[in-house]
Amino acid sequence: MGALSMTTARSYGWIWGSAVVFLLAGLLLPWVGSGSISVERVMARQPPDYPIFVQLRVSRTVLGLLAGGALSLTGSLFQSMLRDSLATPYTLGVSAGAALGAVLTIALGFGSILGVPATWAGALAGAATVVAIVAGASWKRGQLSGVRLLLSGIALNSICTAFILLINSVVREHRAFSIVQWLLGSVDSVGYGVLFAFAIVVLVTSVAIITQARSWNLLAVGEAWAGSRGVDLRRLMTMGFLCGSVLTAGAIALTGPIGFVGLIVPHLVRSRISPDNRILMPCSLLLGGVLVAACDTLGRIVLAPAELPAGAVMAILGGPYLVWLVRRRF
Amino acid sequence: MSALLEVRHVTYDYSGNTVLNSVGFSAEGGEFVVLMGVNGAGKSTLLDILAGLRNPNSGEILLRGRALHAWTARERSRRVSHLPQATRHDLPFTVEQMVLMGRYVHADRWFESDEDRAYAEDAMRRMDCLQFRDRLYSTLSGGEQQRVLLAACMVQCPDLMLFDEPATYLDVHQQLQCFSTLAGLAREGALCIAVTHDLNLALAHSSRALILHQGKITADFLTPEASANSEWLKWLSPRLHMTSTPEGNPWVLYR
Repeated sequence: MGALSMTTARSYGWIWGSAVVFLLAGLLLPWVGSGSISVERVMARQPPDYPIFVQLRVSRTVLGLLAGGALSLTGSLFQSMLRDSLATPYTLGVSAGAALGAVLTIALGFGSILGVPATWAGALAGAATVVAIVAGASWKRGQLSGVRLLLSGIALNSICTAFILLINSVVREHRAFSIVQWLLGSVDSVGYGVLFAFAIVVLVTSVAIITQARSWNLLAVGEAWAGSRGVDLRRLMTMGFLCGSVLTAGAIALTGPIGFVGLIVPHLVRSRISPDNRILMPCSLLLGGVLVAACDTLGRIVLAPAELPAGAVMAILGGPYLVWLVRRRF
Repeated sequence: MSALLEVRHVTYDYSGNTVLNSVGFSAEGGEFVVLMGVNGAGKSTLLDILAGLRNPNSGEILLRGRALHAWTARERSRRVSHLPQATRHDLPFTVEQMVLMGRYVHADRWFESDEDRAYAEDAMRRMDCLQFRDRLYSTLSGGEQQRVLLAACMVQCPDLMLFDEPATYLDVHQQLQCFSTLAGLAREGALCIAVTHDLNLALAHSSRALILHQGKITADFLTPEASANSEWLKWLSPRLHMTSTPEGNPWVLYR
């Protein structure tokens, strides 16, 4: 009895612990950077420290926390939905679609579309297109088939990547440079209006996903298992795919394709903390955000004054982890 | 008083082929019904339809007098459990987490209550898997995994329990244990329906058999009377021959 209720207490402990780490990252990481910032001058709202702190450091940290959380939660979601431990927004082609959309706008030299920076509009349009195609190809007898989703997702991923390479080789040099820069995945400062809108999107979709955690557990075992335990499969699959796509598109649009976070964090949480989505999902959301924000901070200081994009830092850290994972589990 | 389960004229088509053709029967709690037939006869499809995983093209299924589709998915899951034919081998969950999933249909809180855990513990003890409650499900042998899945079905506390080839990957001893368990669950009042290919295992443990052939029920008899008219064997194979054990129970010989 005592030992059993400890399990629940420990579960909440992991979730609240992750939340504390998330908050600490948000409070501390903005103070770290290539130039030192004085606390007194920020408190006194004196330039140049105050504007640098508020307009660059804080917004960048918040963006890292949100985008990392969004991609990491989506990874854990897709892994449960498709019962495939390597399913991520990447395997489903959603991020490649978003990247192609963004690259297209860079190649065409659009600065902004309808007041929104063009890469964001392009990424959202690209992700939406891929979702429509992949979902359309995977709709079978009134429900989404996991195998079809994964296969058509991988196919679309290849097609989009091929087009990105094609575009990159035909555009003029300075634009090719911008494309490569964007593709490396960077967490640049964005305005607070955009950040606020993104925060709302992340909040709403995360709540929608995480409140279904028990259903994702059942689905991770099997469709018949879930269907005979009170899950409306069709509604759940549709909801999961839509929420996951919105989160991916939003994150990719704002940061560029930051690889691996959707893979590393869910797998780390699953093996070190719990495979139960009621713990796995909130912890992935919170710790994924911390990882991206931390990688971005690390990228700012290791080669200062030059900056290493967060995506590159993540790949250097994430690549070896993936190799280790493959060796251990398959 | 209506029967626990009543199946009326259920027809199911799959891309132009008629898988089930006007299937009908009714059954009561306490029965252990085995569903037999050659591959492709429609056994698993019928089981899926009874579990609410597929909808029939026509006909209806009444559970306690109420149409199956009139129950919400959650209400249905509290009354009907389904043991799938196979699960993934690399599931990340522990034994206890797997069994507790059966309680989701009864609990509304985020994590399980002590009562849910007590149900799970009781079921794991009965299925002889309490000793590895904290082990990963994927590290167990096939027989051990099957016992865990049975425990997960038990904690749903259903009236109707469906089993899709429950003994397929088990060794002989585990097969016997599995069928004794199903017979025990029926004796406690549940209606158990199991798809199986093992004739003698079925005859020794079940109370009633249904033979499905080309989407129709071609035989429906009480198993103690299986040898009275052994015509039904022809629906399974021409190489079967009915005899009886020294105790007088029906026994099928393979030729």
